[in-house]
Amino acid sequence: MADSNEKGSSSLLIIILDTNPVWWGRKKASDEQFSLSHCVDCISVLANSHLMLAHKNKLAVIAAHTDNSVFLYPQYPGKKAEAVKLPDDGQYEVFGQVEGQLRAQLKKLIMQDKEQIDEMYDVPEQPSDSLIAGAMAVALCYAHRLEKECPIGEALSTRLLVIKGSEDCPSQYMNFMNAVFTSQKQNIIIDACILDKDSGLLQQACDITGGMYLKIPQLQGLLQYLMWVFLPDPSTRTKMALPPRAQVDYRAACFCHRNLIDIGYVCSVCLSIYCTFSPICSTCQTTFKILGPQKLKRKKKS
Amino acid sequence: MAAISYRKLVCKDLHSYLRSLPPSVLDKLYHHPATCLAVYRDLPELARHYVMRILFVEQAVAQAVVKQWSITSSEEQLEAAVALMELRVWYEQPLPGGMPGWLLNPIFRKNLSTSLLGGGSPWIGNKNLTPDKYAKDIPFLDKYALERWECVLHFMVGSNEGSDGVNKDITDILLHSKLMRVDDGEPSITAEGFQFLLMDTSSQVWFFLLQYLDTVQTRGMDLVECLSFLFQLSFSTLGKDYSAEDMNENQLRFLQHLREFGLVYQRKRKSHRYYPTRLAINIVSGVSKATAATAKLDTHRPGFIMVETNYRIYAYTDSPLQVALLALFCEMLYRFPNLAVANLTRASVRAAMSRGITAEQILHFLVSHAHPEMMKNTPILPATISDQIKLWELERDRIRFTDGVMYNQFLSQADFELLRNYAKDIDVLVWEMPEKRVIIVTKTGHDDVKKFWKRQRAS
Repeated sequence: MADSNEKGSSSLLIIILDTNPVWWGRKKASDEQFSLSHCVDCISVLANSHLMLAHKNKLAVIAAHTDNSVFLYPQYPGKKAEAVKLPDDGQYEVFGQVEGQLRAQLKKLIMQDKEQIDEMYDVPEQPSDSLIAGAMAVALCYAHRLEKECPIGEALSTRLLVIKGSEDCPSQYMNFMNAVFTSQKQNIIIDACILDKDSGLLQQACDITGGMYLKIPQLQGLLQYLMWVFLPDPSTRTKMALPPRAQVDYRAACFCHRNLIDIGYVCSVCLSIYCTFSPICSTCQTTFKILGPQKLKRKKKS
Repeated sequence: MAAISYRKLVCKDLHSYLRSLPPSVLDKLYHHPATCLAVYRDLPELARHYVMRILFVEQAVAQAVVKQWSITSSEEQLEAAVALMELRVWYEQPLPGGMPGWLLNPIFRKNLSTSLLGGGSPWIGNKNLTPDKYAKDIPFLDKYALERWECVLHFMVGSNEGSDGVNKDITDILLHSKLMRVDDGEPSITAEGFQFLLMDTSSQVWFFLLQYLDTVQTRGMDLVECLSFLFQLSFSTLGKDYSAEDMNENQLRFLQHLREFGLVYQRKRKSHRYYPTRLAINIVSGVSKATAATAKLDTHRPGFIMVETNYRIYAYTDSPLQVALLALFCEMLYRFPNLAVANLTRASVRAAMSRGITAEQILHFLVSHAHPEMMKNTPILPATISDQIKLWELERDRIRFTDGVMYNQFLSQADFELLRNYAKDIDVLVWEMPEKRVIIVTKTGHDDVKKFWKRQRAS
């Protein structure tokens, strides 16, 4: 503990877990030896290892569901946590609590979902993307609150770890980018651990905030990847040999159709992006009197 | 120059304390998950990640591989590896191919993963209790712990208040640790005692416990048992009760002692439940090295000292103990019901230093008890004050005494130079004066120089 920067500061790790039922269901159906419970096992070990690193380290786990984001740990201070049984198998009681609460809350979330579906006659198609941007915003608020509550003379360094399986959702592009730039401003690092397909948005988020982006090559070894890459906090990362930065897909989503585009039109007033030319900017209502350059040329010729 | 004869009070941290224990005791200690957890947290950062990475690897890992994990300077890597070696967390073992490898201590591995994942035997007293009829809340426990601990401090400074609560065990430890000595049948405080008083509470508790553990074996108790229990205590939750039912005779005795120091609260001596207090829970955080700049706060007690650049100190306290502590190095001016005003003067600081108190201790005391309003400043203490106190200390250090032997009356310059160069080479020369052909060598070097001279003359 010779590090002086470590002495006065505590490290907050916020894990955002994608609990999209569609994706996890497909995963299970595709007969791979990887399930949500396995993933939760790995996450709780990572969370406890983070708490184990130092006495002052803090933790939060948020589930990003299809239409809401829920705190799995810690519980809202308003709700009185029921007396937790002391672990009788030699586990440190705080770790036992974390693990127990994670599971209990997740179970509650899934049961709620099930009840909702049971009540409905015809089940609407569940969206196959999760509310990652929402969960990130919740996480940022939580980090902000803890920072304010921090006693004088102590610094809190925060990082987000997004564990995501489902696909990117371009419709969240605006909110997502807002969250990313906010965290950049707040010096909060965003790490991404991708279980399935590469996510362009998270690649950008990690690149902007200086976090690690890793697509897990072998899901069986998830825990080992988590421990090696995501356990060291940013100040330690400079000392460790870690996988190199991935190529970043810097495409933006247009504001009109939410498609990811390479080349598009940008409003000169508010910097909104469009895939096709529109005379009135839908964001700031600016009217563009001058028509496209091609039409002007034609006029001159004729 | 009396100050040099005083021993500076060294408070060992956990790491150096454990290092001083024999390997067999360490191995025994690692049988308890709580100890492994405490040791793990005290390791250097890099070492902690090393352990995490090989926690689930059951065979030796090549040293070359471990080396590639980090990209920092080799000193830092070495420091981590040495720290792990010293505490027997891992040891060298050649791989089948003959390459040198590291093997995590199997006992440590097993118990650390037990504390992380479970799957072992329960901790002592981790039994679910029925709700306590006389349940205590955190403010009560804080008050209780502080009261008990201040009793000890009051006893040390010899104030009448609360000295009735100090029994023979505590006195014995204070005498053993040389914080107090017996003068005319009455114990009185020593120079080390003054230094002890200026430490922050968690360091005080840790120092005191170290001294206690020194005497544990003479009391016929098992060091390993006590330490394991202590570590477990430091990992318990504040404001929660734990069962004392399954504890054996020795552990119960140890618990009684801890109760006397205020580390645990027990309603009655025979009560089967106990509450750890903040003193006990702070043990592990208190033992890690504190840097002078970011002094730890006494979390359970707000600071009360304001220091102004005009060397005036305002202490918002009515505790006679705190005022007495301030008076160690300040000139007291006024006393009000809730406020004491004092002046830092050269004379008062020098008087404190002649008692063996160092500038660093004074500054640490001022910072760690600084008023919340003061805490908002950076640096917390006005720079003029901290510099001046340090200067006052340096003032006392202008002369240094070194024992030595003088050689003079050399017959020729050549002889003089020969002997001087020899003394310089073996690094024992203290002073020389070529004009008068005088050299002074240290006492330890005297024999060598004398022999050399005799040989020279003989040849």
